[in-house]
Amino acid sequence: MTQQMPQQQTPPTKRKKRIRVPRVENGIETMVEIEVDDEGGPSWGPNGAHKLLNHRLTRVDGPAKVTGAALYTYDRRAPGMLYGRILRSPYAHARVVRIDTSEAQRIPGVRAIVSLTDPEVSGSTRERIVRFVGDPIAAVAAITPEIAEDAIRAIKVEYDVLPHVVRAEDALAEDAPKIFPEGNFAEKERRGDPNAVEAELAKCDVVIEAEYRTPIHHHACLETHGHMVDYRGGESAIIYASTQGTFTIPDDAAKELGLPSSAVTAIVEHMGGGFGSKFGIGIEGKLACQLAKRAKAPVKLMLTRKDEFLMAGNGPGSWQKFKAGVNRDGTLVALRATQYQLGGLGDGSLAGQPYIYRAQHVYRERIAVYTNEDASRAMRAPGHPQASFAIESLMDELAYKLGMDPVEFRKKNLRDPVYHRQLDRGAREIGWERRPKQPGTGRGMGCAVGTWGGGGAPQCKVTVQIARDGAVTVAVGTQDIGTGTRTFTRAIVAEELGLEMKDVTEKIGDSRLGAANASGGSTTAASLAPAVKDAAYNARMQMAQTVAPLLGAKPEELQFADGKVIGGGKSLTWRQACAALPPAGITAQGEWKANLAASGVHGVCFAEVEVDMETGHVRPIKMVHVQDVGLPLNRLAIESQLIGGMIQSLSMALLEGRVMDSRLGAQLNPTFNDYKIAGTFEMPEMIPIIDDEDTREAVIGVGEPAHIPGGSAIANAVFNACGVRVRELPITPDKILRGLAELRERRAS
Amino acid sequence: MTKKRDGQTERPESATDPSRRRFLKGMGLAGAGAAIIDLLDPELAPAREGSSEADRQLISDTVEVSLFVNGQRRTARVEPRTTLLTALREYLDPPITGPKLVCDMGACGACTVLLDDKPVYACLVLAVDAVGKRITTVEGLGTPEKMNAVQQAFVEKDALMCGFCTPGFVTAISALLRRNPHPTLDEVREACQGNFCRCGTYPRVFEAALAAAQMKDRE
Ligand code: FES
Ligand code: FES
Repeated sequence: MTQQMPQQQTPPTKRKKRIRVPRVENGIETMVEIEVDDEGGPSWGPNGAHKLLNHRLTRVDGPAKVTGAALYTYDRRAPGMLYGRILRSPYAHARVVRIDTSEAQRIPGVRAIVSLTDPEVSGSTRERIVRFVGDPIAAVAAITPEIAEDAIRAIKVEYDVLPHVVRAEDALAEDAPKIFPEGNFAEKERRGDPNAVEAELAKCDVVIEAEYRTPIHHHACLETHGHMVDYRGGESAIIYASTQGTFTIPDDAAKELGLPSSAVTAIVEHMGGGFGSKFGIGIEGKLACQLAKRAKAPVKLMLTRKDEFLMAGNGPGSWQKFKAGVNRDGTLVALRATQYQLGGLGDGSLAGQPYIYRAQHVYRERIAVYTNEDASRAMRAPGHPQASFAIESLMDELAYKLGMDPVEFRKKNLRDPVYHRQLDRGAREIGWERRPKQPGTGRGMGCAVGTWGGGGAPQCKVTVQIARDGAVTVAVGTQDIGTGTRTFTRAIVAEELGLEMKDVTEKIGDSRLGAANASGGSTTAASLAPAVKDAAYNARMQMAQTVAPLLGAKPEELQFADGKVIGGGKSLTWRQACAALPPAGITAQGEWKANLAASGVHGVCFAEVEVDMETGHVRPIKMVHVQDVGLPLNRLAIESQLIGGMIQSLSMALLEGRVMDSRLGAQLNPTFNDYKIAGTFEMPEMIPIIDDEDTREAVIGVGEPAHIPGGSAIANAVFNACGVRVRELPITPDKILRGLAELRERRAS
Repeated sequence: MTKKRDGQTERPESATDPSRRRFLKGMGLAGAGAAIIDLLDPELAPAREGSSEADRQLISDTVEVSLFVNGQRRTARVEPRTTLLTALREYLDPPITGPKLVCDMGACGACTVLLDDKPVYACLVLAVDAVGKRITTVEGLGTPEKMNAVQQAFVEKDALMCGFCTPGFVTAISALLRRNPHPTLDEVREACQGNFCRCGTYPRVFEAALAAAQMKDRE
C-alpha cells in the first residue's frame, strides 16, 4: 500500500497531461501515472451551484429495498435450480489422501459432486494440500439445501495431518513448520538507515518504545459470498453474483464452464455488502460453475455464515513495534518501526509509518508473516486503520508524556493546513475544551487523523439515451454495493438535462452494458461520475443541435432547466423538445474526464467515551468525523457512509477480532454469536461532517477514509477516560481492568 | 422462540426451543427421514386450541405444509427440519425473499418476520411449527408503490445502504410501533437490539423509527 498525500488538483491547462490515477487490484489501491487528453468538455461548475448534486437525495433503490422487492443474488431462483454446499477442511494443514463420495452419491436428490482432488476441477495435478481450517475440499449440488448439507456430511475424507502454525510469534520461530517452501515471512519494504535513526533517538528529549497489535478482522458482509450460476449446458450462461465488480465475473466463469467470455453474462442487481472481500468468482464461484456444468442445471451456491468466516478472506492483523523520539517542543524527530502484516496465507497490508506524520529520521521495515489461516483480502482502507491505531496511539502517548495537548501535538507534526482546519473543526464540534486534562475521571476524549486516495481512472463507458417520448435512460454495467451509485448516476443525468430524479431511469449491474471498474479503493464514484457527466453532456449537446432551430437560438445558448429547454426568449417543455428528435432518439456515449475527478482526502475523527471503572466497560458517547470529499455528489449518502465508517471502526476498536486456538489451528469464533459486531446498544451520538471548505470541483470517493481514524480516536478517548493504554485491539473490559489494577499497584508502590 | 422485544417480554424464552430446532436441523443423514414433531410444547399447550394427544404425530420424509403468509394461503412440501425462513425463501413458489438468511442461528435479525404479530427469527422457527399462524413478512407491510410509515421513513432518512439487513429492521420496528406507537429512543434501540447492520445504519434507523411514529400520528 503506497501512501498518497492529499493535494489540491489544479485545473487543466495543457492539451495532454500526465496524471496519477489509482489502479486497484483486489481492492488495494496503488497510484500509477498515465497520460490523458486534456481537452475542454464538461465541468461540474461551483459546488454550491448544483440543483441535485450536493443535495440530500434519497436512494432511488430505497423503496425496493425497504419492502423486500429488491432481488439480491441470494434471492435468485430458477426452475430446476440446485443448491450447492462446500465441504471444508477441519485441519489447518494436511494432505488429502483420499475422498470417498460414494455414500453421498447415493443420497436421493444429490445431483453432482465435485472434488478439488480432481485435476479437472482444481486445474492442477498436484496433490491437494489444505492449508487452513476451512480450506475447501469438495462441493455438492442437490435439490434442496437440506439434502446438500446431508451430502456434505456423508463425504468421507482421509487426511494426513501436517504441523501447522497460526500465531505470528510461532511462525517467526526458528523451528516453525514451513508454510511456504520459501519460508514463513517475506520482506515487503525496508527504508532508512537504522543506525542513523538510533543515533538521532539517543539525542531526543523524550523516547518511547511500544508495541501495538490488531487482530485479524472479518468483513462480515451480511450477504455471504456466492453465485447463482444459471447454466443448463448449452451455449451461454448467466451468473448472478454478489460481487464488487460486475466485470470481474464473466472471464473466470467462462473458463470454468468452457464457454467464450462473451457468452457469459454477470448480473449484480443488488448486493449485500463487500467491504473489499468480493472480487472475482473465487473458489466458491469456481465450484458452483463446475457443479452446474456437471449437473446441467442451475446451481445456487452461497457460503454459509461459517464458511464466510473461515474461507471468504479477512482483514489482516498487525503487530507494530516502535521506538520514537521527540523534542520538548513537540517535534517528532526520529522513528524506528517494525511492521508485521498478518494476513494468514496472504500478504496482509499496512501503510508505512509514520503514516501521515512527518519525522525527520525514519527507519521502517514491513514484513509479511504467514500463518495457516485463509489469505487476507482488501478490507475497507486496506492497511490504514491498523497503521492508524498504532501511530495514533503512539502520538497520544508522546503528547501525554510531553504534557502537550494531543491536538496541538498532532498539528505540530502535520504540515498540511487541511488537517489543521479539520482538527479545529472536530475539536469545536465535540467540545474538546471539556476534556479532562488528567486521565482517570471515567470520561474522556480522543482524536485521530487519516488519509486516502479515492481518485478515478478511465475505465467506464456510459450511454445516455433520450427517446422521442421524453424517456431518459442511463446505462453502465457498474454495481451499487450500498454506496448509492445508482442514485448519483441518475442524479447527474437529471441535473444535466434540467430534469427531476423521477424522469431518468438507470440500468446498472449487467456485464452486457458499458464497462465499469470494480468498486475497490473508493474509486467507483471518481471513475464513474465523470463518465456519466460526459455522456449526459454529450446527450445535451446533441439535443441542443436539434432543438435550437425550433427556438430560433444557437445551440450553445440553450438552457436545460426545470423540465424545459429555453432559448431565444422562448421555451419548450421537455416532451415537446423530445418530440422533435429523430425517430431513434439520441444516444450519447461518455468517458472519464480527468478534470472531473480528483484524488486525495484527509479526515479526522474525535470520540468521547465513558469507562466504567468497576467493570471496565466502555460506552461510546459521541463521535465526530470531518471529511473533505471534493464535490459531494449526494450529501445524504455521503453522510451515511461517514456514519457507517465510524461504526465499523468503533466496532473494531471495542469488539472485533478473530480468536484462534493455536493447538487446533482453528478459529474459535466463526459465528455472529461469538464474533461480535456493534449493535444498537453500542451506538453513540454520531456527527458526520462534510468539510465544505474543500472547494475542489471534482469527484473523490469516500467509502474508505471514514473507516480509518475512528478506532484510534476511541482508543485514545479510553486512555483519557481511565488512564489505561490498551495497545492491543479490541479494547475489552478485561484489558482495562488489568490496566487499572496495574495503575493501582504502581501508585501503591 | 419469541424474540425479546421490550421490557415486558411476551413469553419467557423456552430454553428447549433453539436446541430442539438445532437438533432437528442438524440431524443429518440418520435423522433426515424422520423426526418427532412435538406439537404439544408444554409452554404452548394452553395457548393452542384443540390440542390433544392426537396432535402428537410422527412425520417423516417430507410433509405438506400450508402457510398463511401475507394474507395468502401458500403450500409447500418441506422436510420436518426445514425452517420457516428456508420454506419461505426456497420452497414456496414464487418465493418470498424479503426476510434474509444471514446467520441461520438467531444472532442477526435479518430474517425477522411476524408470527401472529410478534417478531420472531424465521431461521429459528420450523416451518411445521408455523402452520396455523399468521405470518407477515416485510412484503406484507408495504410495497414500493405503497410503503408503510416505517418503510417511507427509512427511505427519507437514508436508514439503509446495501439494504440486506433492512427488511429485518423494518419488520422489527413496524411491530414495535404497533404495540408502542410512541417509543423512546431507548425503546427503539431495544426493539432492534437483535438486528445487525454491517454497513452501519443504526443512527438513521433510530431516526427513521421516531419519524415513522410521528408520521403515523398524522395519518
Ligand atoms: S438469519 Fe435468522 S437471526 Fe440471522
Ligand atoms: S445496510 Fe448493509 S447491512 Fe445494513
